[in-house]
Amino acid sequence: MIIAEWKPLSELTAKLRGHKKILLVGCATCVAECAAGGEKEVETLAPLLRMALHKEGHPAEVVTRTLERQCEWEFVEELAPLIPQVDAVLSIACGIGIQAVAERYSEVPVYPGVNTTALAIREEPGLWLARCQACGDCGLGETFGICPVARCAKSLQNGPCGGTRKDGKCEVDENLECVWYQIVKRAEARGQLDKLLEFRPAKNWSNSLHGGPKRVLREDLRP
Amino acid sequence: MEPRTEMTREDLQSGFKPEIILLYCRRCVEEEADLFIAAKATSRFAAKLVMMPCTSKVEESHLLKLLAEGADGVQVVGCPYQQCQRLLGNLQAERRIEHARGYLREIGLGAERLGMERGLHFSGLQLLLLAEKRAHAVRPLGPNPMKGERIP
Amino acid sequence: MTERAGSRLERVLAAGHFAVTVELGPPRGPNAAAVRRKAELLSGVADAYNVTDNPTALLRMSSIAGAKLLLEAGLEPVMQMTVRDRNRIALQSDLLGASALGIKNCLCLSGDHQQASASGKLNGHPGAKHVYDVDSIQLLAILKGLGEQVQESGDPIAEPARFFIGAAWSPLAPPEAFRVLRLAKKVAAGADFIQTQAVYDVPRFAAQVAKAREMGLCDQTAILAGIIVPRSTRMLQYLNEKVPGVEVPEETIRRLRAAVNPASEGKKIAQELIEAVRVIPGIRGVHLQAIENEEVLPEIISAADLLPRPVLNIGA
Repeated sequence: MIIAEWKPLSELTAKLRGHKKILLVGCATCVAECAAGGEKEVETLAPLLRMALHKEGHPAEVVTRTLERQCEWEFVEELAPLIPQVDAVLSIACGIGIQAVAERYSEVPVYPGVNTTALAIREEPGLWLARCQACGDCGLGETFGICPVARCAKSLQNGPCGGTRKDGKCEVDENLECVWYQIVKRAEARGQLDKLLEFRPAKNWSNSLHGGPKRVLREDLRP
Repeated sequence: MEPRTEMTREDLQSGFKPEIILLYCRRCVEEEADLFIAAKATSRFAAKLVMMPCTSKVEESHLLKLLAEGADGVQVVGCPYQQCQRLLGNLQAERRIEHARGYLREIGLGAERLGMERGLHFSGLQLLLLAEKRAHAVRPLGPNPMKGERIP
Repeated sequence: MTERAGSRLERVLAAGHFAVTVELGPPRGPNAAAVRRKAELLSGVADAYNVTDNPTALLRMSSIAGAKLLLEAGLEPVMQMTVRDRNRIALQSDLLGASALGIKNCLCLSGDHQQASASGKLNGHPGAKHVYDVDSIQLLAILKGLGEQVQESGDPIAEPARFFIGAAWSPLAPPEAFRVLRLAKKVAAGADFIQTQAVYDVPRFAAQVAKAREMGLCDQTAILAGIIVPRSTRMLQYLNEKVPGVEVPEETIRRLRAAVNPASEGKKIAQELIEAVRVIPGIRGVHLQAIENEEVLPEIISAADLLPRPVLNIGA
């Protein structure tokens, strides 16, 4: 899922002050899965915002709505009757959803309430770990199903740097295991350590942001 | 800023009578508890006792809404650590409460407006005393600025 | 083995001498005189002088500029190049420039992540966007290609850019069993010489070198053992606990702690380490580091009986 986290409340109030009626809109898909933007979080943020804005001398009404998915136009359309009543929208969906709302309702300011950060898996309750970097050139077949682009701080392709700590953790973040250490362990378990001896040449990054903003056109799916 | 723990003359003189909502787990109270005791007026604070099926059901949004609606403080009362009927429910409740307190601190409303206590076999009077404990913590923070705010 | 770039370091090794390289950190400003001062201090004590590339992602003068200033001062540089900050275009462009300026040795590194810059008292650049377009092993292959007149893309370059190509080796970082394989990968990709992470635990280091020898790697590449001169117990403890791949035996720490003059004892330890690695088969030299303390290097190298450096008959 795409994961996001709340912006500091002071950053939100700084943007929202002066507005009198705010629509706080959440999304029941990715950001709900990472406990940042689902209905529960909407209902938690709304009273906090009201209290924070009031305390700063800029009281405002906060109305709430959670869409099934903020990245689908048919759901975004559901906000239409609410928009004329408000003077600002705060979205706690991922950046895609925020932009969908902003594009459809360009007459009101639409502010982000979260920072979208990664493509992740919920490893355990309360713990999310980035897994994919959308590099557009998936090499998981060469690294035993473990991605070094997303999970190595340096996105190394040919094995670990010298920064693997004694306990197998990464020198950049001691909470993270050195992913190449994990890849080596898996290769050893499969008896295929020699596969990691193969030189992996420079990656082609052009199928991701580095090739320009991604645009996918499928003729077979056009109306 | 650290909340003052002792009542000052100003506190007494200001006449601030904290309104505390106490959410208690149904299993913490003794059968014969007089739960209407809160209806009896106390001079220093007011308490509303609300029963819940289990503290594991408490969500941050509930607690924050009560504060946004003007409660001066919210006290959650649950079973002792190893004795939640939903195993770790009361531990998770505590974590959520701590999380919400962090936000209250962040917006400057005061973390002490929200807290949790544990125990079993509480009588109505004991629940009232737990509400008073929260009132005492809340008093230095002053009345909730949200009092009187119109809720849409 | 055909000569790669004809650098002094290359020729010293080819002639069978035990090589000496030292590390030199460029200044944290644009002051060329600071580089010249260090050059003067260290003149004649090594066969080549490594110029670091913004270590710990804290800003210093670029290594290509530092390397050129060393050349002007009569010393042979080893330009260090990390892949943290530059993509393949900038890397190759800098390499063409370096070659044009007469720089002949290049050490290819991953480079410390920019998060490392925020750990001390300075702000550093933890908010920077890193590059890591290619990794250090792909960079080795790039340098090898440039020596064969071809770029990473397969396009030609106007003339070959020849380098004596170096890589780093951290034999004791986990997973230890893989480290020798990683060395093999680096050698296959083009590493002519290796400078290792700092050695304190000689037997463990020697065991890894023996494995490398068994794989034939010591015939294909010249391994220089890295040695950091310890200044204090705290420094040794820091190295042992915080720097991955550095293993300091307890007795070394105890020894330094018990010393009346730790700085002086540290120099002795460095000298003993030089002598110890010198007798490991497969070790063809030492790479000495005395971070921001380069003035101690001449006496240590002298005390280890490594001076004067060999005079080469061919013009260096």
